[in-house]
Amino acid sequence: MTKKNTETTDPARRDFLGTFTMAVAGGGVAAACVPFVSSMNPSSDVLERATVEIDLSGIPMGQEKTFPWQGKPVFVVHRTSAEIAEMGASPGGKEPVPDSQRVQKPEWLVVIGVCTHLGCVPNKTAQGWLCPCHGSVYDNSGRIISGPAPQNLHLPPYHFVSNDKILIGKSS
Amino acid sequence: MNHFRLWALFASLACTMNGTALAAGDKDAILQRGAHVATEVCNACHSLKYLKYSDFLKLGFTKQQVDVMRGDRNMGDPLIAQMAPGDALTAFGIVPPDLSLMAKAREGGVGYIDSMITGFYTAANGNTDNHVFPGIKMPDILGISQADPASRKALLVKAKDVSTFLGWAADPMAEARENLGYAVMAYVFVLTVLLYLLKRKIWGRLEWSTPGLH
Amino acid sequence: MKKMIAWIDARFPLTHFIKHELTDYPTPRNLSYWWGFGFLAGFVLVIQLVTGIFLAMHYKADSNLAFDSVQHIMRDVNYGWLIRYLHSTGASAFFAVIYIHMARTLYYGSYRRPRELLWWTGQGLLLLMMATAFMGYLLPWGQMSYWGATVITNLFSATPIIGDQIVIWLRGGFAVDDPTLTRFFSMHYLFPFLISAAAVIHLIALHTVRSSNPSGLNFADKDNIPFHPYFTIKDLFGLGVFMLVYFGIVFFDPELVIDVTNNIPANPMQTPADIVPEWYFLPFYAILRAVPDLIGGVVAMALSVLIFAALPYLDRSRISGGAIYRPVYRTMFYVFIVDIFVLGYVGAHPPESDLKVVGEVATAIYFSTFLLLPFLSRWEEGYLLKIGLPVEVMEMTQKEIEEAR
Ligand code: HEM
Ligand code: FES
Repeated sequence: MTKKNTETTDPARRDFLGTFTMAVAGGGVAAACVPFVSSMNPSSDVLERATVEIDLSGIPMGQEKTFPWQGKPVFVVHRTSAEIAEMGASPGGKEPVPDSQRVQKPEWLVVIGVCTHLGCVPNKTAQGWLCPCHGSVYDNSGRIISGPAPQNLHLPPYHFVSNDKILIGKSS
Repeated sequence: MNHFRLWALFASLACTMNGTALAAGDKDAILQRGAHVATEVCNACHSLKYLKYSDFLKLGFTKQQVDVMRGDRNMGDPLIAQMAPGDALTAFGIVPPDLSLMAKAREGGVGYIDSMITGFYTAANGNTDNHVFPGIKMPDILGISQADPASRKALLVKAKDVSTFLGWAADPMAEARENLGYAVMAYVFVLTVLLYLLKRKIWGRLEWSTPGLH
Repeated sequence: MKKMIAWIDARFPLTHFIKHELTDYPTPRNLSYWWGFGFLAGFVLVIQLVTGIFLAMHYKADSNLAFDSVQHIMRDVNYGWLIRYLHSTGASAFFAVIYIHMARTLYYGSYRRPRELLWWTGQGLLLLMMATAFMGYLLPWGQMSYWGATVITNLFSATPIIGDQIVIWLRGGFAVDDPTLTRFFSMHYLFPFLISAAAVIHLIALHTVRSSNPSGLNFADKDNIPFHPYFTIKDLFGLGVFMLVYFGIVFFDPELVIDVTNNIPANPMQTPADIVPEWYFLPFYAILRAVPDLIGGVVAMALSVLIFAALPYLDRSRISGGAIYRPVYRTMFYVFIVDIFVLGYVGAHPPESDLKVVGEVATAIYFSTFLLLPFLSRWEEGYLLKIGLPVEVMEMTQKEIEEAR
């Protein structure tokens, strides 16, 4: 193989052109990843289902009903006045919050039914909820009382569309 | 396969550069009028199941307008036909095909739909038939075979609107695709020029010492 | 960095591999752009793998859901339309690139000794690709998907005695249906990885016998240059030009390579008016139809693909350089290429009487090219020796030359 004398080439310029071209090519490869990564995000029809309307008239006093929202269970509890009074008096457990900050209307408790420990769905008890996985106990305000879970049950964004209808997924 | 489309594309590119293409506002107006015809007329019998009511928001309709269109259906619901498929079968002997992909499912696409719905005429025996689709079971829904010259003109516009809309319905991503396409093509062009220069540079280091080789 | 490489090199021949296969790999310096299509095929394979894997995240292999799931990809999935069009256009690009790659091989006689194995691994790659594309085409579950799969699986009914059993076995039912779709999806996912493995074997064979080159001469070392950087940059420039065409179709006319009929959901009760295979199968399809007999047609079609494997033995000329120094071979090459285009045209149109004759004649020419090659190549060799050729272009001993004269 024969090469020209190195003096006849200008290494600086070649290097610039080479580096620049490779940078442009690298930028292209990086940009090409964007659509692929983005395709793994929720698609538009999944986002479409990001809100759900719930009719409260079908839930009798003292009962709980579970609704799917974004693939997760949402607990809606129609609390009795005894429960409301008891929760109002209790400061909560590990993460104390007054009950009034956890509800929009005292007779309706709306919480996401996912244990804040490792994501199991707690079961309803008279006192609140008991998580079957590792025994976390929540009260009737969804506040953590005992067990390994670190936080109270989370609240979904929701608002009352009318007196007996709520829209979960949007806070106003 | 339609081999003319690529050339049509180059032609339309040239038009865009000359500024003869439709302004964006005009296009939205046509699509909106077409959407009204599609939901009020065609959707009575045909489904447009790959469209959701929320898709109309992309055409510049307001939420209130879409609420009127959807009635008691949800925003995320597909546009199923107002007539039940069973009823359609008894009425026409066939379930009318879905329209949301029609413009891609027929040779000629939008132009085919346009000439089909305006192709109705009254035959010598007094029956209505269609130039483009003889023996079609669909009625002359625009009433083009009965129209006098003045109203015919309006109907032709209506047909154009709805077929343009169905073109959009079959390929709602077309605009996004072409916009991204211009950027990608520009980028690849620049990269190719750079690679060419670099190739010349690198090969310039070689001496062509062997006679007879090229 | 240096330390890390040394650490790896002590455990794995990384530097050696890069040197041997890339920076020191000797390549004839006169390779033209026609030699860049193998690289392009590798690029398209990667595109198909990546886009395919991402499509499979959203696609549903169920006869009730498949068609809708493709529309879901086109409309709802972020950039789903892009990924699908890259994949559907990529299938065509793959064949375009491979066919040009093969035409290069034919023109320059690159299949000849010592590259027989290289040629055969390429042949295997072509068969795998055809199977992959055929099975992939069923997945969107459109009318053309469905009826294409029906017709092609039915070809196997030509097998003597157990033909019908084979067809049922292939389909997992008495017609193309859900079981067919799910198994095609499984195999369509698997085969590209077989293709990748076969491509590695293809490359190992290549690096054993080295590239042929346009002159057909075996180069002395002084005429070879290292693959990197010379051919990496040349191939990359070729890739840029390729991408301009490929992305042009993907972004501005992606339905060019999707038959309109395939935008109608599969209907097992109604065959569309004219069913046509994808363009890359058309010449073979024309050969199938040219023989007016089921078994005969299937045999002819299978043979039309497989017969390429015999080329290293059919071509009996010992003159180097493919078509360059060989006027008879060159003529045959061009006739063959034109013939393939004619067959493609015939395959794309309904078999009316005139076209039928054209198809039969073109099929006859197709096979006669192969059958005449042993005789014409020998005759050509003697003729060329008589008029006198430089000795370098002959892979013959003096004695053989005397005999041939
Ligand atoms: C050798 C490489 C490949 C070739 C030649 C090929 C070819 C094809 C073809 C012709 C289609 C039909 C396109 C259409 O009209 O929509 C298709 C669809 C599909 N392929 Fe591939 N493919 C390859 C690799 C892959 C791989 C590696 C995967 C997955 C890992 C994959 C997954 C799919 C899926 C999910 C579809 C259906 C989606 C659709 O129709 O758009 N492909 N392929
Ligand atoms: S997940 Fe509920 S206690 Fe562990």
